[in-house]
Amino acid sequence: MEGNKAENREAIFNGIPASPGIAHGEAFVVNVENIPATPEKVPEAKIEAEVQRFETALKETGEELDKIHKQLEEEMGVEHAKILDSHRMILTDEVARKDTLKLITKDKYNAAYAFTTVINKVITTFQHIEDEYLRERAADIQDVKRRVVRNLLGQKVEGLSNLRKKAIVVAKDLTPSDTAIMKKKYVLAFVTDIGGSTSHAAIIARSLGIPAVVGLESLSHNVKPYDKLIVDGITGQVVLHPTGETVGMFEEAQERFREMEKELLTLRDYPAVTLDGHTIELSGNIETADEVEDVVSHGAKGVGLFRTEYFFITRKNLPSEEQQYRYYSRVVKELAPDPVLIRTLDVGGDKIARWASTSSPEANPFMGWRGIRFTLSRKDIFRTQLRAIFRASAHGNVRVMFPMISVMDEVLEAKEICEEVKADLKNERYQMGDNIEIGIMIETPSAVAIADKLAKKVDFFSIGTNDLIQYSLAVDRGNSRISYLYNDLHPSILRFIRDTVTAAHKNGIWVGICGEMPGSVYGALLSLGFELDEFSASAYLIPEIKKIIRSVTLDETKMLVKKAIKLSTATEVKQLLEAYIENKRPELREFIPEAVK
Amino acid sequence: MVSGQVKVITKNGIHLRLASDLVKAANSFRSEIWITKDSQEVNAKSILGVAGLGAELGAELFIKVEGDDEEEALEYLVTLVESDFTKGAQ
Repeated sequence: MEGNKAENREAIFNGIPASPGIAHGEAFVVNVENIPATPEKVPEAKIEAEVQRFETALKETGEELDKIHKQLEEEMGVEHAKILDSHRMILTDEVARKDTLKLITKDKYNAAYAFTTVINKVITTFQHIEDEYLRERAADIQDVKRRVVRNLLGQKVEGLSNLRKKAIVVAKDLTPSDTAIMKKKYVLAFVTDIGGSTSHAAIIARSLGIPAVVGLESLSHNVKPYDKLIVDGITGQVVLHPTGETVGMFEEAQERFREMEKELLTLRDYPAVTLDGHTIELSGNIETADEVEDVVSHGAKGVGLFRTEYFFITRKNLPSEEQQYRYYSRVVKELAPDPVLIRTLDVGGDKIARWASTSSPEANPFMGWRGIRFTLSRKDIFRTQLRAIFRASAHGNVRVMFPMISVMDEVLEAKEICEEVKADLKNERYQMGDNIEIGIMIETPSAVAIADKLAKKVDFFSIGTNDLIQYSLAVDRGNSRISYLYNDLHPSILRFIRDTVTAAHKNGIWVGICGEMPGSVYGALLSLGFELDEFSASAYLIPEIKKIIRSVTLDETKMLVKKAIKLSTATEVKQLLEAYIENKRPELREFIPEAVK
Repeated sequence: MVSGQVKVITKNGIHLRLASDLVKAANSFRSEIWITKDSQEVNAKSILGVAGLGAELGAELFIKVEGDDEEEALEYLVTLVESDFTKGAQ
């Protein structure tokens, strides 16, 4: 047996990037597991004592919270400490107290179980809250419950107050009162099993300027105290027991990130224009309305891809027209007069919503009932979404885009529905924007093949490289045996992009790109050379793309494309681009990815 | 009994901290106070109730007050919400 060596093999976990940056260090595992409170019947004679125990636990918890409050006020200021007021209030909530007492005296349950039952009922109501930010506040209530139950069961809290040297904090989840008692200077990064980009750990991490990855599912069970970890808050990767080589790679990435952060500040307000004066519309991809801030702070102009499905799949019920209208309007208002390109629902594939789950799973979901195919067969859902989008257009500059178009009929039918919806809204006296552009995603080979026909029917194209590559090269990205085939530099992809751009420009419409392709230096150079009018990418990639655009001339990149299109392998294309950077624009060398993938 | 309607203009909605401001305010009156959002009615003096409403930006709240200081209470709470929690609270 290899013993320890085998145990400490490098392992990679993927989560949701919640705060950018890279950290490397030892783990501090926070024990915040829920303590189950089992139901027990209390004998009549002991009811009075049980009530007393409950009152004492409330008092003890109150004192605990006061202590944290004081600590927090000293370290973070009065405003921040206010969050503890609400914890205090949950504790003294009369309704919760009375309900608990009733369960103890009438139903003769033990205090821990009674209180847990009452609070859990409240938490259930939180799960129905539509707004993600408000919903995640349920963690604060959980926190109070945990404290009270711990005090009832006489258990000690093992929390962040014991953090005495620099470490990466690993937890199932973190609550304000957990983070309140930690010494900020010792925290290198947060990683948590649950939570989204607006969970408390994520918000605190962003405000402290430290990296965070959330939604890692079972990471906290796999990490032991003092285990070595790397946290990449940009990609959402966490590496456990990294090898020396991996550490070196991440250290370089960390250095690059720091430099980029610096540049971000300097580039933010500059336009995305090439050395020879060609301007690119550079916009951000978002999945939730909360990401608008990131888009703006990273210097993007507007949103080039608003993936609306996340709003749908994160809730139990279909969102109403009003809810969607408010949600879209928030983004549109914040970015006006810059454009917001809203993509209609793209469920299916890897994103099956609970309310849409088919009776039997599809054998081949990526080629199945998804995107426009789904919405055209569920016109109730489609119309509701379109109504909300068109109404939101009154507040700024809205564009509408349909995903997964593979045949002309889909475009014609979807457009017809748009016209009907607009006419309805007009009759109902709703305000709408004047010229709402309607476009389609180009992400299937068939759409590329008839792009010249499609271009006559729409106002714009946006090339979705991720799916286009997958469908063109017939490669499932998730399949590790063949994932080497997935390559955005493959000449077939380049030809598809060229054909799409030609068809668009011949018909006088604009064409953008919104996959991961423009996010790499090679992809960005080629996208420029193709004369794509708009690039849309994740906010954190924007500064890098802007830097690349501002470092080259359009003519150079057009030449590159001309040569690249004639090559026969992705490797040759890569070599061509590398040689160009080395010889012509060495300042872009820093963006060349590592040899190791 | 008096009642009134108010729209939430707070960017992140009535999250826990603001809910506690509202509950504190409600508790300073003798009247019984209820808040309704989308047919869910809660006791305005219970933080768990108010926070559990999930009153997001743009949400319409219906406030119902009954008691000897009902007029005062209603006006105070409506002003508090309408002012984005800047007016009213101490």
